[in-house]
Amino acid sequence: MIICRCQEVTLKEIVQAIAEGATTVNEIKRRTRAGMGLCQGRSCSRLVRKILAEHTGQKFAKVRPGSFRPPVRPIALSTLASLEKDTDDKS
Amino acid sequence: MTNPDVVVIGGGIIGCCCAYYLAKQRLKVALVEKGSICSEASKSCQGHLFLWELPAINIKLAKASKKLYEQLYNELDIDFELRNTGSMSIAEKPQDLETLQQTLNELRQAGVECHLLSAKEFIKTEPNVTRDISGGASFPEDGQLNPMLTTIALTQAAKKLGADIRLFTEVTGIELSADNYSIVAVETTKGRIGTKYVINAAGVWSGQIGRMVGINIPLVPRRGNLIVTEQVPDNIINCQIIIASGYLDSLKGENKAAVAANVQQTREGNLLLGSSREFAGFDKNVNPEVISLIAKRCIRFFPVLAGLHTIRNWAGLRPYSPDMLPIISSSPIEGFYVASGHEGVGITMGPITGKLITQLITKQQPDLPVDQLSVERFAEKQ
Repeated sequence: MIICRCQEVTLKEIVQAIAEGATTVNEIKRRTRAGMGLCQGRSCSRLVRKILAEHTGQKFAKVRPGSFRPPVRPIALSTLASLEKDTDDKS
Repeated sequence: MTNPDVVVIGGGIIGCCCAYYLAKQRLKVALVEKGSICSEASKSCQGHLFLWELPAINIKLAKASKKLYEQLYNELDIDFELRNTGSMSIAEKPQDLETLQQTLNELRQAGVECHLLSAKEFIKTEPNVTRDISGGASFPEDGQLNPMLTTIALTQAAKKLGADIRLFTEVTGIELSADNYSIVAVETTKGRIGTKYVINAAGVWSGQIGRMVGINIPLVPRRGNLIVTEQVPDNIINCQIIIASGYLDSLKGENKAAVAANVQQTREGNLLLGSSREFAGFDKNVNPEVISLIAKRCIRFFPVLAGLHTIRNWAGLRPYSPDMLPIISSSPIEGFYVASGHEGVGITMGPITGKLITQLITKQQPDLPVDQLSVERFAEKQ
C-alpha cells in the first residue's frame, strides 16, 4: 500500500523506519522520503502521523506534523527570481 | 547501560562519524542529541564532497575523508548515495577566468586534480549553460552523498557496535572534578551520564558547550539558504555539481552576505540550488530576498531552469570559525575534545574528523597533523 504518492513510499517502508527507531514525521521523512515530493507531505502527512501513533502507542494528537517550509505551492523559478530586483550578485 | 567511556554531544555528521569510529575501537559510546539525527546543518546542505577549498590542510583533510567515505560505503548497511560526480566551476567574466587560473595553480600545488576549460569546451560538456561565459574548470575528485542517509547509516552501525544513541536529550551542564581538571559527568534533560571523555560536536552550539567547561570556542552561525526543485531529468546538467565563480570569494569571512550560483542534482533527481552566506545569528528563517537572488543567479547561468518549479526552500546554520579552519582538538580539560567549526565542509570532513578524534582519544598517531586545528588557538590571552 502506497502512503506517500509523490515519492511512492509504501506502508511497509514507513513501518520499517519506525522499527529502526524513527519516532517523528521528520525522521521518517529523512529515512524514506515520505513527504519530500511535489506536494511536500500535504497529502500523506496525516497518514504518516496515524501510522506513527499506532506503532508507537502515542495519541494521534500528540504526534506532531513534519516541518513545513515555503513555498506553499510549487512555483516557477522565474517567478521566484523576479521577487528580487536591482541587487548585484556579490551584495 | 553502565557509564559510557565517551559522550559525543551532537547528532550531525561530525557527531555521528565520531560515534562510529569510537565504537569501532570498542569504546563504549553514548551520543546525545537535542533533536533527532541530522536535524540541523547536516540536513540543510547539498551533500557536496568539496575537495578544493584551500588552504592545503583543508584539502588534505577532504581527500582523506573522501577515501574514508569510500570505505564506509562498503562497510555500512545503508546505501547513502555516495557518487563520484566531480564538479565544475564556471568563470563568468574574463577576469574570473584569470582568477580561476591562478586558483588552479595553487590547487595543483596542494595536490588537487583540476583542469582549465575554455568557454567552448565548457559549453560542449554542458550544452544548457548560457553562451555568455568566459570558461571554467573541472574538478574530477569531488563527490556527493545523501547526508540524511549517511548519518542514519553511521548511527545504525554505531548502535550495532554497542553505542547508545539518546535523541531529544539536551546537554545542560558538564560536571568537572574538584580541581577543574577532568570530566566527571554530563548533565542532560534526561539525567546525568557519568563519563571520562566528552566530544563537543555540537556545531553552531559548540560555543555554549565550551562555556560549560570554560573553554572559548568562538563559532558563529553562518546561514545558508537553499532551493529545492521538483525532480527533473538528468540531462539538464551533465555534471551533478556546477558552481559559478564568486563561490570561493563568498567563503571569505569579511563577506557579510554573499550569494554564488551553485547548482547540484541529487541522485533522486531534485536540483538543489544555492548558495548563500549570511551572519544572522541563530535565525533559521528563509530569507526571501536571498532565495530570489539565488534563483536569479542560477537562471543567469542555466536559462533552462526558469521553467522548473521549486517545491521547498530552507535555511540552515553553518558553524563558522573565524579563521575558516575546523577545530579537531583535545583541550586543557582532560577528556574534553572539540570536533566542530567546519563551516561549509562538515559533510566533506566528517569521517576524517571522527577518525582523528578517535586517534587522539586512544593515543594513536593521528593520520594527519592536527596542531593547526587546536582549540587553543582561540584561548583568551591573559
